Amino acid sequence: MIEDRELESWREQWSNVAEPPAEFQRKLQRRIKREDRRFVLGNVLTLIVFLGLLIFAVFMRHQSSWMGTGWATGICLLVFVSAGYRVWTMLGTWRPQTQSTRAFVELWHKRVVARIRLLRISVYVSLGWIIFCAALTAVNWTTIGPDVRAHPKDWVELLVACVLMQPVIWYWAAWLHRRKVAELNEVKEILDEMDGKSVP
Amino acid sequence: MNHAYSFTDRFAGQVRIVSEPRRVLEKQFDRILSEYGTPISRLAFSYEAVASVREELVQEIALAIWQALAHFRGECSERTFVYRIAHNRGLSHVLRRRPPHQPLEDIEESDQPVDPRPLPEEQAVRTDQRAQLMSAIQSLPVTHRQLIVLMLEGLSHAEIADVIGITENNVAVRLTRARKALKDALGARP
Repeated sequence: MIEDRELESWREQWSNVAEPPAEFQRKLQRRIKREDRRFVLGNVLTLIVFLGLLIFAVFMRHQSSWMGTGWATGICLLVFVSAGYRVWTMLGTWRPQTQSTRAFVELWHKRVVARIRLLRISVYVSLGWIIFCAALTAVNWTTIGPDVRAHPKDWVELLVACVLMQPVIWYWAAWLHRRKVAELNEVKEILDEMDGKSVP
Repeated sequence: MNHAYSFTDRFAGQVRIVSEPRRVLEKQFDRILSEYGTPISRLAFSYEAVASVREELVQEIALAIWQALAHFRGECSERTFVYRIAHNRGLSHVLRRRPPHQPLEDIEESDQPVDPRPLPEEQAVRTDQRAQLMSAIQSLPVTHRQLIVLMLEGLSHAEIADVIGITENNVAVRLTRARKALKDALGARP
């Protein structure tokens, strides 16, 4: 009985806790409109980038050199993988939140693990990309060589920019990796709480 | 305390062509907001102590409900559907921000629950008790917090089990633990 009175008292206090925020409705309307606009704009921009890159790839392919073919293949691959990933993520949009909390957290856990894995793979892919570009340059040296000798300053600048970009990209990847690992630990903590492992 | 939100009001005075399914969705959303608007605000209180951020969280929850509504096929009750989304959104908020728990004395005046009635002595005591309850709930681990909030909202064990994704027996066991934790947290407060 005491327990019930206690619960009733908590419920009574709880029921008076929060007023909905002022101007909630108007702000929500604005937010929904903004999200709708962002969604449409995002899709239009993606389509433009997608088509632009395809046109660029076709243009490069017609350069009739190994370099052009390499670029075109690389770009096409990148475009289709990106488009596939976007479609795949859009298919799952909003649905996870309608699942039970346990399923939601488990899914979150899987996603964070997948993102960490993807980040690791990206590092290897970026290394592979550098090697690929270097190989492509070596193969096409007969075409590129005269241009390098003609404009050494431009090529050195390009090389320095590429070299300087690497630490920036690596630092960003490391920062993102640290963030994701921290997120993974927090998700694990919640899963442990759900299993009653770490809850007092 | 029942606030009648009207989502479709935004179209008042505007000429706008809306498809029939969208109109049905808007009406449903309208009804959900008028029915669950206040519980969602309360629920957001358990996940966020700072008023301005909490307002943002309430909006995010409402937005998530709106976006999920088109996919709702009645696999669970509407109430379960709303609470699932609200809690999952709250959980995402905690995971993304994970701020240190804000002690009661640090909560600004504007962050305290608003009570429109005048404040005689008894009322002041109630307000204080309410603030202590809120602070105690916010200090609980996320899973306990969720159970307590659902219990306070009057959901049955079966409904809580459906929202969280555990068995009813498990709900009973965990609720006992969560209530004890809440009592301890309240007892630890001056």
